[in-house]
Amino acid sequence: MTSRLRRAVDNVDLQRFRFWFQAAAFVLFVYGGYLAVDLGNSLPMFSCGYNQEGRAGVCYLLPLQHQLSRPWPQLFGWAGIGVLTGFATFFLWFIVLNKGWCGFMCPLGTLQDWLTSLRKRLGIRYSLYGEQAFNRLTWVKFVLLALMFLIPLAIGGGLLSHDWGAPFCQICPGRVILPLFTADPLQLTIDYSSIGTLVLTGLGMFIAGLFLVGAFIKKRFFCFFCPMSALHYLISKPALLKLKKDGDKCTKCGNCFNVCDMEIRAIADDLERKDIMTDDCTLCLKCVAACPEPGALKVEFARINIFQATEEGFLKRMNKGAGHDACKR
Amino acid sequence: MTPANVDTLPFNRGRQAREAEVMLDKLVDEFTDNPAAMAYFYDLFRRVYIQGEALERPAAPQVGMTCIQVPEELIYAVGATPVRLCNGAYHYDQIGADFMPAKSCSLVKATLGRLQDQEMGVPRVGKLDMIVNPSTCDQKKKAGAMMEEMGYAVHHLEFPNVKESEAARIYWQRSVRDFAVQLQKLTGKRLTRKRLNQAMARTRRAQTAFRALHNLRKQAPSVVLGKDVFLVTNAYFFDDLERWTDAVEALVAELKERAAAGFNAAQRKAPRILFTGSPPVFPNLKLPLLIEEAGGVVVADETCSANRMLYDMPVVDEWLVNHMVDSLADHYLKPCTCPIFTRNDDRCRRLLDLVRDFEADGVVYQAYSGCQVYEMEQRSVGKVLNEAGIPMLYVETDYSPDDMGQLSTRIEAFLESIKTRKRQRAASGGQA
Repeated sequence: MTSRLRRAVDNVDLQRFRFWFQAAAFVLFVYGGYLAVDLGNSLPMFSCGYNQEGRAGVCYLLPLQHQLSRPWPQLFGWAGIGVLTGFATFFLWFIVLNKGWCGFMCPLGTLQDWLTSLRKRLGIRYSLYGEQAFNRLTWVKFVLLALMFLIPLAIGGGLLSHDWGAPFCQICPGRVILPLFTADPLQLTIDYSSIGTLVLTGLGMFIAGLFLVGAFIKKRFFCFFCPMSALHYLISKPALLKLKKDGDKCTKCGNCFNVCDMEIRAIADDLERKDIMTDDCTLCLKCVAACPEPGALKVEFARINIFQATEEGFLKRMNKGAGHDACKR
Repeated sequence: MTPANVDTLPFNRGRQAREAEVMLDKLVDEFTDNPAAMAYFYDLFRRVYIQGEALERPAAPQVGMTCIQVPEELIYAVGATPVRLCNGAYHYDQIGADFMPAKSCSLVKATLGRLQDQEMGVPRVGKLDMIVNPSTCDQKKKAGAMMEEMGYAVHHLEFPNVKESEAARIYWQRSVRDFAVQLQKLTGKRLTRKRLNQAMARTRRAQTAFRALHNLRKQAPSVVLGKDVFLVTNAYFFDDLERWTDAVEALVAELKERAAAGFNAAQRKAPRILFTGSPPVFPNLKLPLLIEEAGGVVVADETCSANRMLYDMPVVDEWLVNHMVDSLADHYLKPCTCPIFTRNDDRCRRLLDLVRDFEADGVVYQAYSGCQVYEMEQRSVGKVLNEAGIPMLYVETDYSPDDMGQLSTRIEAFLESIKTRKRQRAASGGQA
C-alpha cells in the first residue's frame, strides 16, 4: 500500500500539480482577505500588504522595515521585543516550507510563471544570463537585503527622513502590481511630495515595468534579486523541507540544470553537498522531476523522503510533456 | 584478400563472413538456454554479416556516424536515417591498416577498412550521403580526413575535449546547431518542433526499452548473459529503430518471466563482471565471450557500444526547437564518460556506481592497443577501483583472434581469484 502511494507520488505530473497549487495559493493570498482570512503579518513571501482589501496576510518585509525605523532608544528598548516576536513568527512560518514559499506560494513568483507560460504559448524562446552574468548578479539580493536593514535603521537614528520609509516596499514590483488584481490602481503613481518618495516610487514604477518585461523573457527574473530569498537562505539551516542530492548516483547529465529556472549550476555539478538548496533556489522541485537517476535527487520533510527522482516518473513526465506539445500544434 | 577473390567467391565464403560466422556460432551454440527472443538478433546478424544482405532502409538519405556523440534525433527529424559505422571486423581492420600507423586502434582501422568498400561493406546500407565524424580522439579526427579523401561527404562535428566548462558547453551547442543546418541542407526538410518531438519520442522509446533490459541485469541470479546484451546494443548501430525496439521489448518481457521463475542464465556463483573500456563491436565480442565461456557473467558495462550509447536520457523543459536542440546537445556532452576528455572523474564514479548497483565482483577493462586514451586511463581507474576493494583485470588486445588462448587463461585465473576471495570472505564472515 505505502509502496503504491510512494510510486504515485514519485510519478506525479509536477508541472500540473504546481500549476494548480500555485493558482490556489495565489487566490488565497491575493483574495483571501475578502473571506476574512488573516494569517498575520509575518508571512515569508510577497503577500503584499498594499493589497489592503484582498490580502490574506502580510509579507514580513513590510512590518520589519517599519519596526526597524523606530527611534533607536525604542528599537533597542521595549520595541525590540516586538521585532523579535515578529521575526520568530516569520521564522516559524518559514521553516515549514523553506524556500518552497518561493516556488509554490509567493504570488509574485506565480505571476512570473504565468508570464513564462504566456511566452511559451507564443513560441518565444527564453533568455539566459549565462555563467558570467549569473556570478556577477547573484550578490545583488544580498546587497538589497543589507540596504533593507540599513536604511530603516538610518531613519530611526535620524540620519534619513521618513520619506525613505519601507524602502524595499517602495521599489518592490509586488506593491505596484499585486493590488491591481483587486482593482486597486492607487499604487500606480509616482509620489512627488519629496525627493525621497520621488526617487523610491519612481524606481518602483520602473522596476514594476522591468519585472513584467524581464519575467516574460527570463524565467523567474525577479527572484534572482529578491532580498526575501536572501533572507530565507541565511536562516534555512533548520528548515523542515529539504532538497537532497546523492552525488554518488549522479551521472552529471545536467538535466536538472537544464530545467532550472534560476540557472543554478551547482545542482548538476556539485557532488559533495548533500543539502543542495542554494541561495538562488526557489525549491520549485523541477530538478527532481527532471532527474532520471533513482534517488539522486530527493525532497525530504522532517527527514522523511516525500518525493524523489525515479526512472519511471521521469519517463512519464517526459512522455507527457512531449504529448502536451503535440496537442498544442 | 585481393579484389579478385571478392568477385569469385560467394559473399558468405569471404573472410569477413567467415569471421562473423565463427563468432556468431560460438555466441549462439556454446550456450544453452539462450532466450527465445534473442532469435531475432541472431538472425539479424546472420543475415547482415554472414549472408551480406542489404538492410531494408527508407529511401531517405543515409547518414553514417562514427561515434555516439552524434545527435541522431536530428538525423531522424530531418527524415534521414542514421547508421553507426564503428566496425568490429578483423578483416576490415587489416584492410584499414594501410591507412593508419601500425600501433593504432583496431576500431578506427576497421571502420576505415569497411568504408573502402562502398557497395558491399558490412553492414550494407547503400550509398552514404553524409558521414558525421565528431572530433573526439586524434585517430578518429584523422580518420575523418581520410574518409574525405576516399570521396565521402564528411561533416566534421566539432566536439570539445573538456566538458566541465561553460565555454565548452556553448561551443558544443553551436556546433550541434550548425550540424542541424547542414542536415536540413542535405534532406531539404526543415527541422520543426513537431518533427524533432517525434524523433525524440522514437529514441526515447528505444532508450526506455534499453533501460528496462539494463535494470533486469541487476537480478541475481542473472537472467541474461552479457554476450547477448552486446549483440542487442550492437544491432542498434544499424537496425531499424522501431524493429529494434520491438525486439528489445519482447526480450525484456521474456526476461521478466525468467526473473519471476528464478531462472539462472549463468553458472551457480558465477562471478559478476562489469565490463569497461574500448567498445566490443560484433564480430569482435571475444572478450565478453571468453568471460562467459569461463563461467563469469557480464552484468553491466561502461562502453560506448552499449550502456554509454543508450543509458542517459535528455530532458526538455520547453518544447521549442531551439531549446530542444540545446537540450540534445547537453545530453550528448554532459554525461559522456569518454576518455578523450581532460579529466575523467565522471567515468570513475560511474564505474563505482555500476559496481554497487549491479553487485559486480570485478571489473574487466579492455583497451585496444593503440587506443591511447583508454590505455592512459587504466592507471587512474585501476587506482580508484583498488581503493574501493574491487579487483580489475586490464586487457590490452586488438581484433586479431590470435591471443584468445592466452586471454582465456588470464580470464580464468581472474575469475578463479574472485571466487576464492568470495569464499574466503564468506568463511571469515561466518567466523565473525
